[in-house]
Parts: sequence; structure tokens; C-alpha cells
Amino acid sequence: MDAELSGHRYRLAGGCGLLTGQEATLERSVTRPPGRRWRPGRGLLVLPPLLFVALLIFAPIIYITLFSVGLRSNIPGAEVAFSLDNWNSFLFGDNNPFRARFFYSMRVALLVSVVTTIAAYPLAYFLSFVARERRYTLLLLLLAPFFTSYLLRVLAWQIMLNDEGVVTWAVRAVGLIPDDGNVSWLIYSTFSVSLVLFYTWVPFVTLPIFAVLENMDHRLLEAAQDLGASRWTTFWRITFPLSLPGVIAGFVFVLIPTTGEFITPLFVGGADNQLFGNSIQAFFGTRDWSLGSVLAMALIVTVVILMLVFGRFLNTDLRATTGGDDG
Amino acid sequence: MRRNGVVVKALLSVYFWLFLAFLLAPLVVLVIFAFDNSTTATLPLEGLTTSWFSEAFTNGQLTDALLRSALIAVFAAIIATTLGLMASVGLTSERLRLRSLTVASLMLPLVVPYISLAVGLVILLQAMAVQTSLTAVVLGHVVIALPFAILVLLPRLRTLDPSMNEAARDLGASDLTAFRLITLPLLGPALVSSFLISFVTSFDEFAIASFLAPSGQPTYPVFLYASSRTPALLPQVIAIGTLVIALSMALVLIAEGGRRWVEKRLVGDEEFADEVSEENLAEGLVMVAKS
Repeated sequence: MDAELSGHRYRLAGGCGLLTGQEATLERSVTRPPGRRWRPGRGLLVLPPLLFVALLIFAPIIYITLFSVGLRSNIPGAEVAFSLDNWNSFLFGDNNPFRARFFYSMRVALLVSVVTTIAAYPLAYFLSFVARERRYTLLLLLLAPFFTSYLLRVLAWQIMLNDEGVVTWAVRAVGLIPDDGNVSWLIYSTFSVSLVLFYTWVPFVTLPIFAVLENMDHRLLEAAQDLGASRWTTFWRITFPLSLPGVIAGFVFVLIPTTGEFITPLFVGGADNQLFGNSIQAFFGTRDWSLGSVLAMALIVTVVILMLVFGRFLNTDLRATTGGDDG
Repeated sequence: MRRNGVVVKALLSVYFWLFLAFLLAPLVVLVIFAFDNSTTATLPLEGLTTSWFSEAFTNGQLTDALLRSALIAVFAAIIATTLGLMASVGLTSERLRLRSLTVASLMLPLVVPYISLAVGLVILLQAMAVQTSLTAVVLGHVVIALPFAILVLLPRLRTLDPSMNEAARDLGASDLTAFRLITLPLLGPALVSSFLISFVTSFDEFAIASFLAPSGQPTYPVFLYASSRTPALLPQVIAIGTLVIALSMALVLIAEGGRRWVEKRLVGDEEFADEVSEENLAEGLVMVAKS
């Protein structure tokens, strides 16, 4: 087991933003003198939290499935029978509005994730290679907006972007549009929804990229330059490929939560820019939950697929946190 | 070649600082309008006032919602920190089976969209024939705060010197006594940090609360959302919002800064403590980010 552990590369690629020093601390904790085991059964302590999470996350998924095939209903006295009608109309129905909403949502999520990751990379690169000893202070500044509630930040954007808002005022002031004019796509548009999501996620994506850049073996970069590579070549041949795990982790950390986003469109989205999360939200008021459950299941399946595809990039991070080694 | 590098660095710096301005702009706008003597949040400004703050604090519904959220956050933070401590201690066991699966399950709420959590909880309550309640909000918030608690506690637990615990047991202490007298005090700052970060996570949470809070008992974010639709209430909402922004920033900074200071004292090894807290600081930030 010791050999297995020491042979393990603790890559700090992850989206949880683990930074330097982890390797050293892990080393410390795993090289315990042999024969001096801690109390047996300590591992059992994970059971209560695990059961709690299982009850509140996994149990509902079973119920959502039952609702989605008509085996349960929230409407008192309604007939309960197995039926795939809701699934059929969502998946194959002609012009199903919710399926269209789903694809619109995924397009927005993908666009936001790509643009966010591209914008975050230079920030991480700046912190790691240019800012040097000030990098943690500047990182703190970059993440400062995150200390504040998400709702308030979205509200602030609504205040800035609305028809009489700060941005419109500024655009009028510089004379780009007439004094009573408006920029039609500034709010209640795909643009405004994407902009606010972009704003929310950029600092978050910077963290995993920063983490890989920090943990990169800088001797490789020196070697490349000693061998005559230009900075440009060094970046594209060494730095960038080595930072890819962080890039992908950051990308996935935006993509997955964004697939279920519903708060931003509530404030800055128009009727046409509501996301799939809003469709789900709308169904779980007083309406029949069966169709809502189909949508919720579609979202959960999407998230599970994304996690299966990209999970290993997130997993490296969790391993680094816990020193796990049985998988 | 050299010159080229300087230009790139300058460009990167400009980009970074412009981006920082972009990130802070909405917050600055909120703070400005909190003090603007106008019923609408529009330019030009009409004068300085603090009346929105006093009005907000005499608005019983608003203060009730704030208190309600604070209470929910206290309970959620206590439970999340307790469960997080149990999970972290359990995860340090070398003999734990199915570790990857356990960790993945515990960390799942970090990536799952909150709406699917919220909908799941609504359905679970219905299945158990329980009304939505503030207790349900607390439980929902525990789920999302738990990964953060573990991410604060586990790294700290791993950096503790196991020989101290072993010394205690060699001197005749039981495992529990050793834990209580050695591990727990050393873990103190991390526990406080975990509590505060869980508190902030819960206090600001909207998605789950909007589904689970009973209609007559909105939490602060739910109230904020509802009243942001009422133009007359907007200035008060902005005023309270700036206070909450300032408070939550202060709270997290105190949590991190304070813990760092105490841990330095406890560990004695300054360089080592620096290393530990820098990495935890970034984690702390990510935690808040998710809320």
C-alpha cells in the first residue's frame, strides 16, 4: 500500500482550486510508522454523513424517476399508472418546446463555458508567471466578488443593463445612440444571460488553471528555452499542453452547473432566453410534476453523462484532497 | 526576444487589471445606488442619503427574513461542520473501503446543479408526506455545505502530526480522549473556518430555499428576489445588499486570516503554516464561490 501511495502522482489539476503544498502534506500523513495503526473502525465515521447525502440526493432521484413514468403523482386522487407518454413527447414529440429549450440551454452553457475558459487562461497565466510574489493577494482580489451573494451580483447586472441603466446611460452619454435610444440586445437577450454567467464563472475557472500552472515543473520551460525554443513555441509546446487538465477541469466546472442554471435568466433573461432550469422550476410550483420530473431527469442524466466523460479531470483533484487510492 | 516578453507581460497586466475592474463594477454600482437619494437606480445620481438603510431596518418583513436566514445558517453550519468532521476523520482511516466512491458521493453536491437538488428535496418531502418547512431548508443547506466543510477540515486533519495522538495514547489516553484533548483543540481554527464558510453558503443560498421555504416565511435571498420585482422596495434591497456584501466579505476574510494566525501559533512552524493556509485560503474562496 505504501508503494502504491508513493507511486501515485497527486496531480493538482482540479477545479476545487487546490494549490501548492498538498504533495508535501500528503507525504507527511501517509508515512506513518508501520504497526502503529489508528483505532480500527474509524472509517465507520463516514457512514452518517454518507447516509445523509444518500438520503437527500440519491433517494429523490428514485422518486423523480417514478414521477416521470407516472407511477406517482402530486395531484390528489389522480390515477397512477405506468406511462411513457411524457418521455415520448419530450424526446420525440414534434416541436416539443421543452426539448427546444433544452438544446438552447445546452448551447448557451457550452458557449459560456468555452468563452469563460478562454478568458480565464490569461488571468491564471498572469497570476502564475507575471504577478509572482503578489499572486495570492491578486488572486484574492480576483475572487472578491465571490464573497458576495450570487443573487445580488445578478441584481446588480440587471440594474446596470436595463433600459434606463448605467450602461445605457453611458452609451447615450458618448453619443453612440440617441438620448432616448436603447441597445435592444443589452438586456433580456441571450447576450445578457451569457454575459452574467460569464461574469460569474471567470474567477472560478481561473483557480484550477492557476493551480496547474503553479505546479508545473518550471525546469521544463527553462530546458525548452535553453534548447532554443522561442517563448511562443515554449508556450504552445510545453506550458499549454501541460496545463490542459486544469483547463478541462475549469471548463467542466462551469459547464455542469450551468446546464441547470435558472437564477440569471430570472433577472436578465427575456421570455425567449429562459433556460432549461427555468422550465423545471416552473413545473414544480403547483402544476403537475410528472412532466417536470421528465425534465429534471433529463437534466440529471445530462449531468451524469458529463461527469462520466469528464469525471477523471475532477477526480484527480478529489484524490489529491483525500489521498484516496482504492480506485 | 526580451523586448517581446516585456510587451506580453505588459499586455497581460493590462488585461488582468481591466478584468478586475469589470468584476468589481457591479458591486461598486450597488454600493453607489445604496446611497443615492432617488427611488430608481438610474444615473445621474441625485444626492447622498442613508435613509434607505434606516428604512430597510424598519421594514419588519426584511429584518424577519434576515433573522430567519441567520438562524437557518447557524443550524446548517453546525450540522454541516459536525458531519464534515465525522467524514474527515473517517476518510483519514487507511483501511476505508470504497474510498473513491465515498469521496465522490460526499463531493457530489459541489457539481450537481442546485435546481436538481431542490426539485429532489421537494419530491422527497412530498413522498414522506411532509410539508415544506424551514427545517427542510436547513437540511438542503447542510447537503451543499458539507463538501466545503470537508474541504476545510480534511487537509487540516492530514497535516496534524500523528505522533502527538500516539503519545497521548501511549500515556494511557483512550482514542476518544486523545481525540478530545489533542486533535479537537488543534482542529479548532479549521472548525471555526468550516462553520463560517458553511454559514455564508447557507445564508446566501437561493435555489433550494426558493423551493423549500414556506410562502409566509421567506429567507433573506427569497425575500430579496421577491422585492427586487417591486420598484418601491428596490432601494432598500440594494442598501441591505451592500451591508450583506460587506459583512460576508469581512466574515470570510476574518475566518481565513484569523485561522491562519491561530494555526501559526499552534503549529509554531511558520513556513509550514503559511503553506497550509495559502492552499486552504484558495479552497475557502472556491467554497464561497459556489454559493
